Amino acid sequence: MTAKKVVKIDSGILQYIPKGAFYEGTDEQFSRVRQMWNDLFTHDRLLFCLTSLLNGSGFSKGAMSHILLRNPITGKEVLPPGLAFGYESDVIMYNLKKERVPRALKNLLMLTGTEGFRPINNARTRKIILEYIFNRSTDELDSLTINFKSKLKTLVRHALGKQNVFKILNGDTKLFMKWIGRYNKDVLPVFFHLFDRQPTTSGQSTYYKKIEQYWKLRTAAQNQDVAMFRLLMKGMPQRTVIGFRNTYKVPIELSEIYEQAKTSTKEKIQLESAAKRSGAKVKVNYKNQELYDLWKVFYYKLINNDTENIDKIKQAITDQYSKTDRIDIGECVVIIDASKSMVGSDQRPLHPFLTSLCLVTSLDNVKDVFYVGGKLIKVGAEDDHNVLIPANGTALWRGLIKAVKTGVENIVIISDGYENEVKGMFEHTYNYFKNNAHKINILHLNPVFSADAKTGTVRRLAADIDPMPLTNYKYLETELIFKRMINHSASVKKLLIQKYQKLLGGHQ
Amino acid sequence: MKTIFEKLNFTGLEIGRVQSVDEMTVVPILGGDRGNIAAPENVKFQKTTNYGTMVFENKDEFNPAIIPTNIMARGRGAQDHAMSGSAIVLKKSSGTFRNACCIEQSQGGYLNGAEEEDILPIALRKKLLSQKLRNQCSYNKLWEDIRVWLKGLHLTYSSAHLRYFYDEPNVKEALENFSAEFEPVAGQIGALIMFSGVPVGIEIMPSSKHWEHHWKLLIRGCYGAEMLRLKLLKKLQPSALVLPDIPDNSTPDQVMDILEDFSLHLRKEVLPILEAIDVKSRKIIARDTSVSMNTSLVRTTSGGGGDLITQNNVPVYVSLVL
Repeated sequence: MTAKKVVKIDSGILQYIPKGAFYEGTDEQFSRVRQMWNDLFTHDRLLFCLTSLLNGSGFSKGAMSHILLRNPITGKEVLPPGLAFGYESDVIMYNLKKERVPRALKNLLMLTGTEGFRPINNARTRKIILEYIFNRSTDELDSLTINFKSKLKTLVRHALGKQNVFKILNGDTKLFMKWIGRYNKDVLPVFFHLFDRQPTTSGQSTYYKKIEQYWKLRTAAQNQDVAMFRLLMKGMPQRTVIGFRNTYKVPIELSEIYEQAKTSTKEKIQLESAAKRSGAKVKVNYKNQELYDLWKVFYYKLINNDTENIDKIKQAITDQYSKTDRIDIGECVVIIDASKSMVGSDQRPLHPFLTSLCLVTSLDNVKDVFYVGGKLIKVGAEDDHNVLIPANGTALWRGLIKAVKTGVENIVIISDGYENEVKGMFEHTYNYFKNNAHKINILHLNPVFSADAKTGTVRRLAADIDPMPLTNYKYLETELIFKRMINHSASVKKLLIQKYQKLLGGHQ
Repeated sequence: MKTIFEKLNFTGLEIGRVQSVDEMTVVPILGGDRGNIAAPENVKFQKTTNYGTMVFENKDEFNPAIIPTNIMARGRGAQDHAMSGSAIVLKKSSGTFRNACCIEQSQGGYLNGAEEEDILPIALRKKLLSQKLRNQCSYNKLWEDIRVWLKGLHLTYSSAHLRYFYDEPNVKEALENFSAEFEPVAGQIGALIMFSGVPVGIEIMPSSKHWEHHWKLLIRGCYGAEMLRLKLLKKLQPSALVLPDIPDNSTPDQVMDILEDFSLHLRKEVLPILEAIDVKSRKIIARDTSVSMNTSLVRTTSGGGGDLITQNNVPVYVSLVL
């Protein structure tokens, strides 16, 4: 008899983001995460699937969906109450729809063999690809097609096969209705457009204004008709317009394109400074940005003494804060390490500190927040903005004493774990309180995760405080669940089924 | 009694909160900016034009630049180099220094920019306190000392390649980890560095911006490297720092008082250390009259020393190994 394999997993299976060499099969970290995915899948397929409902990186979820889709369902599995037979597909589709479109498409492209994954093509993958693309409103599809033409083309060809694509393009309507028309019978122009055929009859394109505009823009670019190009580029995706401008050498300024062409709200915030450098005036809608991005732009602007739109950004942060789902771990106080090292690496400046700010907003029932280190800077013509930036050494013991004084048991510390005023003083203080009948329960969240850190591992502050690595504030709930994943499988499974029912509607 | 800073005519300096990790202690020196010195981002190592010749460029429009003492430049496929001392480069110009040292014995090729920069470790810096050696235009003048410095570290090869040490994966990781332990603080322009309570270096830059730019090269490449080497050779005394006892049943306020007292005590202890460092000699070795800057070679009674730079007779930079 062989001993049962001990499953060792951590939340890295949901937080993993490949960078550079990670795409290579030999990469150690990728192999380790891949091993964890496979271990959890073998340990409990249901748990594996439902886990992907938790917050995590798009890449990890794509990889997990890939594992689910490449392993057929036997139909013999006994499902616990609350789950329907097709729950896996429901979860995969839910995750795809929750992702931003570019990431969702990348995850689907994993099925074609990208990002180091094996290509898979079966009835389930076909259904998921075609349903994701075509089961949407005409307007949505119009805009999706314009923005992601070549990716969609690859996916559709993968799902249907070259032969079927050829037949549909050559008028096999029966086949078209069987695979695609079932979701939307009016999508033939989209299909033609994807395969670089201009929809021929004028009647067909009436539903798809952007597709029509795309073809006209292309013609204008080919004919070097600058006036028409200028007219038609309004509202078209920036990438498409720049692509046509560069390919057909259309003599038009880049700054004009930045101003007139369309970008997503996420792209807009990313391109804000590039557009500004080109002399363009770009209006960014901060309202729909993510909390992390808002904090990031807030800090970058103030550090660079740029106070334009600062009040709008502040308001957007407040709005996002009120919308955030918060996690209640009981009444708690938070200590934020604002020492110099929390400024992060050159590659991701301020990341640990910004993550800390977002983490505080993810917690409910916070009685008080204490900052350790940091420096207040005044920005603006009349020094009207006060901002705390990471600075100075680390004396977490000071924060700990202040936290203990509040009498609150749960103390959350957000720190990279480096301590220098002086090293060991935190543990010394913590041990004193622990051994002197002070009831304290410390949760150490460490935003400087080993996958990001040049220097290796996640630091701990005391021998008996396990740090919880968190590179993204959205993963807090995930981390808390993972801590109990293997040893309390049954209760975690119950919790995840409840989550499934809440998110996807359940079967009682 | 006067501190070493007062003996060198530095004014307006304060001691910051002591940072101590394992055997190394960094005492931040706080103070205002001094002199009119080129911003550090405007100064960079450009190339080597011959073995033993380093060229630096100062793009600053208005001010002369200070090249920190014994800075080294490393790059692949070329002979790594280090400066024999500090240097001054006038505004909007390049400075060529022909008394630099090759620090990679059997590697040919000239550097074009640096992939990595650091400051030479303490023991090698001490060798270059000899004015004769320092002024000597002989590219191989440090090879024997490098070989001795590397001895006993069980590196793969025995030639005088300082890079063998810095590139060794465990050393590299240890140095990165180590430098991450310390943090520059607001208003910091320098530091007193100690190993197990014994002072080993004093560094003061013209401004906190200069310190922020160079501190890692000093903490990692110079002091961290030396400390790691001594640890590997088992020649370093363990840290003598003992954390204060906290009596049972102390209230959080009492705990705060005890630990704050301890923190203050650590700062107070620094003063006699600074007073005990004495200047044995001080000799001007270079004058840049056009910018009213002088470089002096300072020797201390403990056998250490280093460069002191003044501008209009006001000290703006010092780097001493003790």
